Amino acid sequence: MAAHGEPLWSPSSTKAGEVLKAGQDQLTVTWSYNQTFPAGTDSAYKTVKVKLCYAPVSQVDRAWRKTVDNLDKDKTCQFKVVAKPYGPSNNSFTWTVEKDIPTATYFVRAYAYNSNGDEAAFGQTTDAHKTTNLFEIQAITGRHMSLDIASVCFSAFSIVSLFGFFYMEKRKGKLAQQK
Amino acid sequence: MRAFHLAWLSLFSCYFSTFSIPPLLAVLRQDLNLSASDIGHAGTAAFAGSVFSRFAMGPACDLLGPRLASSALSLLTVPVVLSTAFISSAQSFVLLRFLIGFSLANFVASQFWMSSMFSGSVVGRANGVAAGWANVGAGLAQLVMPMIFSLIMSVGVSSSYAWRLAFVVPAIFQAVTALMVLAYGQDLPDGNYWSHNHPRKASSKPRENVFGVLLHGLKNYRGWILGLTYGYCFGVELTIDNIIAQYFYDRFNVDIRMAGAIAASFGLGNLVSRPLGGVLSDEMGQRFGMRGRLWSLWAVQTVAGLLCVLLGRVDSLWGSAVVMCCFSFFVQAASGLTFGVVPFISKRSLGVISGMTGSGGAVGAVVAQLLLFSGSNKFSTQTGISLMGLLMIVCTIPVGFIYFPKWGGMFCGPSKEPSSMDQDDYSLLE
Repeated sequence: MAAHGEPLWSPSSTKAGEVLKAGQDQLTVTWSYNQTFPAGTDSAYKTVKVKLCYAPVSQVDRAWRKTVDNLDKDKTCQFKVVAKPYGPSNNSFTWTVEKDIPTATYFVRAYAYNSNGDEAAFGQTTDAHKTTNLFEIQAITGRHMSLDIASVCFSAFSIVSLFGFFYMEKRKGKLAQQK
Repeated sequence: MRAFHLAWLSLFSCYFSTFSIPPLLAVLRQDLNLSASDIGHAGTAAFAGSVFSRFAMGPACDLLGPRLASSALSLLTVPVVLSTAFISSAQSFVLLRFLIGFSLANFVASQFWMSSMFSGSVVGRANGVAAGWANVGAGLAQLVMPMIFSLIMSVGVSSSYAWRLAFVVPAIFQAVTALMVLAYGQDLPDGNYWSHNHPRKASSKPRENVFGVLLHGLKNYRGWILGLTYGYCFGVELTIDNIIAQYFYDRFNVDIRMAGAIAASFGLGNLVSRPLGGVLSDEMGQRFGMRGRLWSLWAVQTVAGLLCVLLGRVDSLWGSAVVMCCFSFFVQAASGLTFGVVPFISKRSLGVISGMTGSGGAVGAVVAQLLLFSGSNKFSTQTGISLMGLLMIVCTIPVGFIYFPKWGGMFCGPSKEPSSMDQDDYSLLE
């Protein structure tokens, strides 16, 4: 796959600069063909995939989210928002942030694919340096009250049984010495 | 034999708990928003704690007996494993791994226990098999934890809850083995320390001053050399246990269970490779004396280093897996070979020398992690692995400097007149 070309799209998303809660809040993405480009450039586009991508601040020191030019190895955009057939205008989609999205800062990118499934163009909700219009998502915590309580109880059992055994050992020792 | 099984099983559970985290890192790093540096620090912390705890375990065994000392440590670390349910930040993650790592001191307790229960002619094998089978815990954790995690998720639980729940399994296992040790184990062939009023100390020669024994051990340069070489066979093994699942996951894009399975095959080799190392040391010792033991240690560890360099350079998934398996065999055998030499260094300070060597293993792991796999490095994991192989080869060279006046060394035969100073150090395991 070649490196990203000029963005031919102008997607935008609501909630730029906000914090969204996973599993709860919604994100609306709209996209349309950038009319400043020559007409007919978009005749090859067949499908559009909208993806959620990590902003650079969430990629720092995390090689598993790295941006590389080779699209097959690129790990910037790991979550699919929606896939739709191509249309030049009036495209929008409202997405409920999925439950397993991790806490990080994101932007949205839309890829257009031709009939071979190759990426032909893309557009993103942020600028070329990926610094503007970013938004955050807050993940659902995995902590549950029931597990917390079970952990505390079992830990207590562990410590108590240890001291119980110690005490029994001491008593046996004293008894053996008394004989 | 009951003591043998209790010893290796309880140590196995400690290794299982300590290495239950690495195979699930791919999930944890998303949930806790960990950076590569955080993961590196936590990996280092996992071994840093054990450096001190292994050293302290020697006197603890002397005082309380290996049965009480090891089960106390296991039961005290069970709450730490359970507290995985509570963590939600990188700092708490690092602290968690630091505290769980303390449980690895049970290695010293198990070797001490085997030395108390088995006669001199088989203690080498007992130690080697006990340590080898216990180390399998690290490998099995890599295989089993992703399976437990997937099983819990298949019931419909979210991934961030599933991994927290999964750690209950190693915690329960560790507690059960510790309680079994307390209920069914005994420190000595004829009973326990406390009920017999410390017969071990009463029947031996006039009670040695603990500091005297400690100093005597610390002054012996051979203990330091073996500490260094153990740091670069066992320490490397510990480091690989920490990083290998993530390495296969990230570099070759396998899924979490496959990465765990491949990583597990590294640790599972311990079932035979470490005991075989001990057996090889004994065989070479019979044929060629101490020279044979030292040469085989150097040769096996150097080959392991070469395979480690190769591992970092292989580009295919299956090539890497094959090289890794060969590498695991040699590096674990080297650990077994090291403890084929340790008992000969000093009889008086055997506990201290074992502790120094054991701690050296942990120090080697800490240094390797810090230098090569801390996340903030300028080189990739595969380069780090190759560099670690080079480090292994270099740090094995000092084996050539070990010399016993009575038995010789790698390049020199035994001295013509036995040195009067070291006489009582070598009266062992003839």
